[in-house]
Amino acid sequence: MLNLLEKHLPKIVIAPTTVAMIVCMYGFILWTGLLSFTKSRMMPQWDFVGFEQYVRLFDNPRWHVALDNLFIFIFLFIAISLVLGLLLAIFLDQRIRNEGVIRTIYLYPMAISFIVTGTAWKWILNPGLGIEKLLRDMGFVDFEFRWLVDPDMAIYTIVIAAVWQSSGFVMAMFLAGLRGVDDNLTKAAKIDGASAIRLYWHIILPIMRPVFFSAIVILTHIAIKSFDLVQALTGGGPGYASDLPANFMYTFAFNRAQMGVGAASAMIMLFGVLAVLIPYLYSELREKKS
Amino acid sequence: MNLKMLSGISLGRVAIYLILIVFALLYLAPLYVMLTTSLKDIEEIRSGNLLALPNDPTFYAWIKAWSSACTGSECNGLAPFFWNSVKIVVPAVLISTVVGAFNGYVLAKWKFKGSELLFGALLFGCFIPFQVILLPMAILLAKLGLANTVSGLVLVHVIYGVAFTTLFFRNYYVGIPTELVRAAQLDGAGFFNIFRHVFLPLSTPIFVVTIIWQFTQIWNDFLFGVVYSGPGTQPITVALNNLVNTSIGGKEYNVDMAAAIIAALPTLFVYVVAGKYFVRGLTAGAVKG
Amino acid sequence: MGHIQLNNICKSFGSTEVLKNIDLEIQDGEFLILIGPSGCGKSTLMNLIAGLEDITSGEIVIGGSDVSDKSPKDRDIAMVFQSYALYPTMSVGRNISFGLEMRKVPKAKREKIVAEVAELLQIDHLLDRKPGQLSGGQRQRVAMGRALARSPKAFLFDEPLSNLDAKLRVEMRTEIKKLHQRLGTTIVYVTHDQVEAMTLADRIAVLKDGVVQQLGTPYEIYNDPVNHFVADFMGSPGMNFVECVVFNDKLVIESASKSYQLAVPCAKAIKDSGLESVLLGIRPEMLTDPKPYDDSGFVQEVCFDVEVVEPMGADTVAIGKWSDTEVQVRLSPESGEVAGEGFTLQVDTSKSIIFDPRSGNRIR
Repeated sequence: MLNLLEKHLPKIVIAPTTVAMIVCMYGFILWTGLLSFTKSRMMPQWDFVGFEQYVRLFDNPRWHVALDNLFIFIFLFIAISLVLGLLLAIFLDQRIRNEGVIRTIYLYPMAISFIVTGTAWKWILNPGLGIEKLLRDMGFVDFEFRWLVDPDMAIYTIVIAAVWQSSGFVMAMFLAGLRGVDDNLTKAAKIDGASAIRLYWHIILPIMRPVFFSAIVILTHIAIKSFDLVQALTGGGPGYASDLPANFMYTFAFNRAQMGVGAASAMIMLFGVLAVLIPYLYSELREKKS
Repeated sequence: MNLKMLSGISLGRVAIYLILIVFALLYLAPLYVMLTTSLKDIEEIRSGNLLALPNDPTFYAWIKAWSSACTGSECNGLAPFFWNSVKIVVPAVLISTVVGAFNGYVLAKWKFKGSELLFGALLFGCFIPFQVILLPMAILLAKLGLANTVSGLVLVHVIYGVAFTTLFFRNYYVGIPTELVRAAQLDGAGFFNIFRHVFLPLSTPIFVVTIIWQFTQIWNDFLFGVVYSGPGTQPITVALNNLVNTSIGGKEYNVDMAAAIIAALPTLFVYVVAGKYFVRGLTAGAVKG
Repeated sequence: MGHIQLNNICKSFGSTEVLKNIDLEIQDGEFLILIGPSGCGKSTLMNLIAGLEDITSGEIVIGGSDVSDKSPKDRDIAMVFQSYALYPTMSVGRNISFGLEMRKVPKAKREKIVAEVAELLQIDHLLDRKPGQLSGGQRQRVAMGRALARSPKAFLFDEPLSNLDAKLRVEMRTEIKKLHQRLGTTIVYVTHDQVEAMTLADRIAVLKDGVVQQLGTPYEIYNDPVNHFVADFMGSPGMNFVECVVFNDKLVIESASKSYQLAVPCAKAIKDSGLESVLLGIRPEMLTDPKPYDDSGFVQEVCFDVEVVEPMGADTVAIGKWSDTEVQVRLSPESGEVAGEGFTLQVDTSKSIIFDPRSGNRIR
């Protein structure tokens, strides 16, 4: 009897987590999915109405603004973070003195909350007293920087803050990747007469492809989940000009008592993440098999 | 590898150092601004600019931020919410780490039919946007009587943190030779004894990484905090956001900045002290995941 | 006590059959070696005996009791692993006594046993060190000490010497043999090194593809192999195999462009088999430079073109061809110096083995 218990101990130990995972991850996703097909407003109501909530969602101009913002944000956030992270990593890889200190400085933003980041940048980009005033005091008398209250430019302030927070992480990933490149490869290239730029462009960067992909997947993931930063930096404003899907979902599900629409928006976000994740996993698995 | 080949001997390196330092300053700038602003008084803030050093540094803003600033309808400063966060973070980190350790041990060394699938499913769960579980979790917490409580938040953070902690421990334990398990089995040790005598003594590095990672994630969380807490049980991130967006009697930017720094201090402190473990956690979770 | 019986053991991993109907009886106190190429199943069989893996079908009986369902700790068996598997965070002393600790042996008794074992293996000065501070040979001893401390019914050794350098390997081999003579406990030992097998074993079980090819003493395995695989596997340099046409109860070979007929002991069996050509197996030490011999009717001289010589110190291996097949012969160092074309080779076929060329089976 005791022997039987001992034999199944591993399964017993992992059972609670398994149950929690089945219920609180996959079960909840199913629940939210089902809810998105119901009439629910303030409380869950299991009257199924087909795709009505999705139609309402996509008829909502605010959702479209959120989606547009997401694409702008994802594209700029990822592109700038990648370029910046890569460049800084390459420079840091050049046997720099005090590399550790510099690395620490680049990475510390990741240790703080997006709320703190948002709060700080909200002040820095403050229309009257922030950067605008700074540059005016420095002599650029006509300088204007009112992006924070400009409906067309507000989303870009989010990009700035997000890049500041996360590019250090991308740098760390690339640095680890660069350090993993075989020394013999660079030696061989030097003997072959490759210039520095050629070396990086033709040899090292291609080797770093996996790191690129990992970074893109992670950055996309961060971008799609971005909620805290928007709340703190712009509150989604002015109006809803800098809303992102995560903020939309929160507003509609919890503030506007529109659970059905909120659930639908959450499901769309999930599909967005899956759309990036699944091809990535598929290609990883295929590479491992071959 | 150096850029000697590109241009003259020192020019390249000077350029590199210059760029690196400029960026270092750019990264530090917000912290500098936060600090200096928090030490100025309102007059100086309005008349001066971002980069100016405080003429007459004062801790007024800090004291107010901590004890009397208004965070919505209450004006008790951040202090009570700081302690809320502590009450949430400590149990959540401990529980999720311990559970993750045992899970990782099982998945790495006690594989059974379906265990790899389980691991995959858990891993996948790390990537879902939490928006899809917000609503049902709220209902579950209400049913359990844990809505708007600190315990409720602890539960949520444990459930969703276990996926990451399991990943960390599993990847770490996979690197420990399985022959050690076999030898211990022959020596008469069972599941728990093997963990206690063989794996635990080897686990200090991964415990540190996991605890630091979890601490940072949970302390900095806002989403779960804002959805699942109520008046009086909010974590510091929520309180900070409320504080900044409450402008009773005019905006006090210095107080806002002081409050932000207070909220950031614990994780910043951990980062400065144990930064390299933090980085290891970041890259381990990312690169291997 | 240490009598081990393996009855009809089968083991499959999923759909792959790794061990097929293994029947093996190991006497109490016997030193049995399991040998075979990679993937033959020897380590798996070892793990089954230890209880580290489940048997798909069959039974294992140790010391008279059926242990097929028992967990490793209840089988009273100790194992020495290829990588030693010493607990890295424990001292040597604790490594050795851990098994006793788990069985709740009182501290005083544990210390006594550790001291005895450490003295036996000459590691008493290392008891406080951690495994990371030891050399390979020392770690090996600690691993053995851990097994010895348990006074089990049988020891299982899984390629314990393969991580040591050549010289150390020879030393430890002798130590293990002495230990066996002293303790008299049953040992089941896995190796891929046939020199180890020949020197240590009471009996050897040669495995291939999950099947026992032959079970016998080193002498039997070496001189009386049951099939081509076993004959080829044991011996270094290995047995020569030449396909020969049968003519008048003799085997025909071509050497140095001349034709020779060799007499072999099992001529009758060859005739009964009706085969027109057979595989002649003859060991290099039966092909030598001319020296005194007993006239058994199986010794003759042939002309041999030596192509390559490999001086090994005590003797020289020379390589040439019979019937277009490469053949290795053993010459004295002096002959080896001068051997070349037209060398006079003494051929002794009294111990030659004949095989069916297609099945690889022995023709007796």
